[in-house]
Amino acid sequence: MSDPARPHRGTIFVEDAEVLSIDRHPGGQFILRLRSPKCATRATAGSFVHVQCDHTIPMRRPLSIMRANADEGWIEVLFKVVGEGLFSLGHKEPGDRVSSLGPIGKGFRPDAKRPRTLLIGGGVGIPPMIFLAETLLNDAGNWQPLAIMGSELPFPFELRRSAIAAGWIDADVDRNLGLLEDWGVAGRLASLTGFPGTYRGYVTGLAERYLASLDDSALAEVEVFSCGPTPMLKAVAALAARFGLPCQVSLEEYMACAVGGCAGCAVLVQTDEGPAMKRVCVDGPVFDAARVFAAA
Amino acid sequence: MPVAKEQKTNPLALDFCGLSLDSPIVLLSGCVGFGEEYTRVEGFSNRDAGAIVLKGTTREPRLGNPPHRVSETPMGMLNAIGLQNPGVDRVVDEILPTLDFAETRFIANVCGSRIEDYAAVTRRFDNSAIDAIEINISCPNIKEGGVSFGNYPDMSAKVVAACRAETTKPIIAKLSPNQTDIRENARRCIEAGADALAVINTITGMAIDVERRRPVIGNIQGGLSGPAIKPIALLKVRQVYEVAGPLGIPIIGQGGIATARDALEFLIAGASTVGVGTALFYDPLVCRTINEGIGSYLVRHGFGSVAELTGTLVTGTAPATPRPGPANESCA
Repeated sequence: MSDPARPHRGTIFVEDAEVLSIDRHPGGQFILRLRSPKCATRATAGSFVHVQCDHTIPMRRPLSIMRANADEGWIEVLFKVVGEGLFSLGHKEPGDRVSSLGPIGKGFRPDAKRPRTLLIGGGVGIPPMIFLAETLLNDAGNWQPLAIMGSELPFPFELRRSAIAAGWIDADVDRNLGLLEDWGVAGRLASLTGFPGTYRGYVTGLAERYLASLDDSALAEVEVFSCGPTPMLKAVAALAARFGLPCQVSLEEYMACAVGGCAGCAVLVQTDEGPAMKRVCVDGPVFDAARVFAAA
Repeated sequence: MPVAKEQKTNPLALDFCGLSLDSPIVLLSGCVGFGEEYTRVEGFSNRDAGAIVLKGTTREPRLGNPPHRVSETPMGMLNAIGLQNPGVDRVVDEILPTLDFAETRFIANVCGSRIEDYAAVTRRFDNSAIDAIEINISCPNIKEGGVSFGNYPDMSAKVVAACRAETTKPIIAKLSPNQTDIRENARRCIEAGADALAVINTITGMAIDVERRRPVIGNIQGGLSGPAIKPIALLKVRQVYEVAGPLGIPIIGQGGIATARDALEFLIAGASTVGVGTALFYDPLVCRTINEGIGSYLVRHGFGSVAELTGTLVTGTAPATPRPGPANESCA
């Protein structure tokens, strides 16, 4: 029952979510598909789900939603094991159930006047970039997304030689995620590890090569979106600032309630009224990069 | 002639220092923002709680502590939020008008660095729609005030007396567990005019990231909550009940309550109401489960209302007094 005076009410769902599939990848990386139909209906690129990994570890873990299929009632997340909770989640099998709470948070808001969306994802920051790419694909707008993904672990996706030309980078940097390739979304990969067909360096190095290839009128159509480790996000914010581009970043912080109740996940944000502590869970997780990385 | 309807009484309803509560559950300060946050969750209703204690409020706005502010521990968590709040003027002028006071009772949580700050914030809330005022003399996460008042009975009493002078609304003193004898503090707060006591606030603790050899919490130390502290909290409630019970001063028992069984333990130990905080982070819909569990216990044990259960702990060799309930009515 909706309350017009309180539109926030009843927008996040507790679901007893069945594990539909779990794909294990090198480096303790997992792609988990959950039956979570209410969450799938309302999820947007940048939103996340707060998952209880095990009854013996009752605090939930915030995981970015990578894909959501409202018709089929599932969501997909990608995670890397960093502690006991996600270790436990990684041992789930199809048919097991976990409590999911979502979707949570304000997602990415791409500006239609800047259709050249540059998606920069690093490691477990890749999922919201995939969600945003799929969202743009299904949108009527004239979007021309380019995805630049980086990882120091083997990418937890099928990689493919891209059929989508990228004249701005050396011909041997030719790999893209198979998923993006299927969707016709241009993409290139970066890694210091030097996986075949990837750019040997940081995602920002690869992104800079792209941005430097654009003339001023093309640059005026670029908007940057990013998710990944904080040092990477700071570098992305600095790169965007250097090219005079708007940039939205999705942040990560230790989290308890994830519905705005505890302020445990608050980070310093510059607002029009001065510095403020904003909750990553419901005020974010997506913020204007210039307002969270003021030095950028 | 209209047929008189049988008035069905709610066994979970109780009077708590003059406030009519529909449930003994009190949602705790710092866990539920300023009263609307959890309503984002479908199925959650403020009506499932007898009262909601709003986020700690100070005279001036506070940004709070730097990240990280929370960290998980075995069956618990540390927090050091640092009383982030927009200041009492904005709370009274902008937030209270948005709350639906028909749904539950809303209790302010007052904090400060100096006694006059507590008094000023209490005065501001006195002239508002708020139902009661909790005096937070036990926040462990700010440099001045908070727990530095709460650990000393003299200081606790001075803060409570200063607030008492500013309001006729019910005053609840939130006691710190980080002190030698909580009974003495409870007694002094009651003498200073507290109408009720909240037992306990979090227990100070810390966690270290060994790889970086740095504290996990930005504030270095934080307050420990969750099921890990339940046995400590339960004993503190029992100790405070020894002082407060005979004087008719009710207790909000709190610290690690996550199930109906936990809640029942606190009620039996002497609490009139039960605080729920960290457990919401596990299960946002936990209030309903706890209410149902308490309700069925009351029926099973023949209690007509939750108030009858308070302080019924049986000690020594005496058997628990049989209660006239559905199970033994036929024997009457």
